[in-house]
Amino acid sequence: MNERRIKIEGLRYNPEKDTQPRFQTYEVPFTDDMSLLQGLQYIKDNLDGSFTFRWSCRMAICGSCGIMVNGNPRLSCETFLRDLLPGPVRVEPLENFPIQRDLAIDQSRFVDRLASVKPYIVPAREKPLAEGPHKQTPGELAAYYQYSQCINCLLCYAACPQVGLNPNFVGPAALTLLHRYNADSRDVGWSARAEVANSEGGVWGCTLVGYCSQVCPKGVDPAHAVNQNKATSALDYFGLRALLGGGR
Amino acid sequence: MVGDLAMKRSNEPFFWLLFGAGGMVAALIGAGLVLTTGLLGPLGATRAMDYARAYAFAAHPLGKLVLFGVVALILWHSVHRMGEVLHDAAHVSAAIPLRVVAALATVACGWLLLSI
Amino acid sequence: MSEIRTYRRPMGRWWTKNPTYRRYMAREASSFLLFAYALTLLYGLWRLSQGQAAYEGWLAWLASPFAIFLHLLMLLGMIVHTVTWFEVAPKTMPKTGLPERAITLGGVAAAAFASLVVVALAAWWGTSR
Repeated sequence: MNERRIKIEGLRYNPEKDTQPRFQTYEVPFTDDMSLLQGLQYIKDNLDGSFTFRWSCRMAICGSCGIMVNGNPRLSCETFLRDLLPGPVRVEPLENFPIQRDLAIDQSRFVDRLASVKPYIVPAREKPLAEGPHKQTPGELAAYYQYSQCINCLLCYAACPQVGLNPNFVGPAALTLLHRYNADSRDVGWSARAEVANSEGGVWGCTLVGYCSQVCPKGVDPAHAVNQNKATSALDYFGLRALLGGGR
Repeated sequence: MVGDLAMKRSNEPFFWLLFGAGGMVAALIGAGLVLTTGLLGPLGATRAMDYARAYAFAAHPLGKLVLFGVVALILWHSVHRMGEVLHDAAHVSAAIPLRVVAALATVACGWLLLSI
Repeated sequence: MSEIRTYRRPMGRWWTKNPTYRRYMAREASSFLLFAYALTLLYGLWRLSQGQAAYEGWLAWLASPFAIFLHLLMLLGMIVHTVTWFEVAPKTMPKTGLPERAITLGGVAAAAFASLVVVALAAWWGTSR
């Protein structure tokens, strides 16, 4: 494996010293098997110990390492330096979030929105332990499985212009989880989360740009989860949901 | 933090249904309509837009229904999206004035068709 | 957490920044051309209600180079609308098992057919009686 070098332009912002961000360029030697995350780690370990970024599992399951790579939301652990040649590679924190420091963002808006959709099973009925575990057919699992694959990486929030334009918008991942739980046969369904879904910051904040589904590293398809529920919310608005088999 | 969410129920569904219906009409027959009324008719490839034929169409109750449906639905569809463009590109909330325009145009359309 | 002086970046002209956004804006902007067409039809109805002379004056204007150009633009708008409408349609429907491309192509084909039917019906209306 021959060693090559690539330039990485990193956004720098120190909240204690800077009034606005600036860019700093680093030259990183790399091999074909190295991810961008490893490139960032090289910078921190060898060139500039103050360079700040989030990461954890380095295998695209924890959702920590989301950043903008040349303007596109990517997981740095799943992006390879060989694919970014000839460079320079511009790395910035995820769009639509306030910058805390360098590539690290303030995620609190997402955390709050997530809590508001009740991202847990709201049981359809009280099920005593003596009855044993819930059972689901493969079909019942398939109804929500794809949407349960979300790793909360926030790439979809960075992709969605409505997240940036509309501070009330709950956002793609949170609305997808709303759908994921509504669609789960163990859950009471739509009625538990209708207030959020029907609100202006709920499904109606989405204008179907569709970029969220394009950037999702797990194939969750948030655009689909959100936009399916526009029809449900509209039926609910006219009081027709139960009538047309909307159920609970 | 959860308390500052705008949980106000949205009235979007009503306008969204109009948007969807108009969008479907425009998507399916819009091109054919523009071709007919804007090119084929005026340039003489068809006589459908001659006064007698056009009048006969608009005078017939079914013709009135078709014309009203097409004009009104495309109006409501386009006004919804135009509001979104202004919000997305100019951070302007123009939905309400646009809906007023659409409502007035819809009434005008109905009134004109009834007078033919 | 709240003590950190976070920095908020302005959105600027975000819709110019990648192909997906540009395509979205083209789709949304086609609505202006659709609005123009609805108003054109409305205007034509008004002329029709005023009698033969008024209506034929409007027809003559429709044949002018400017009106033809305008209608070509509006036709382009309708085509952009149709294609992008069926591109996003799969996202608004429950999963059918069909690939999304199939739904898009099917929709566009249906639209092409329906528009041809409109043209054919107009031709029939123009020749009958």
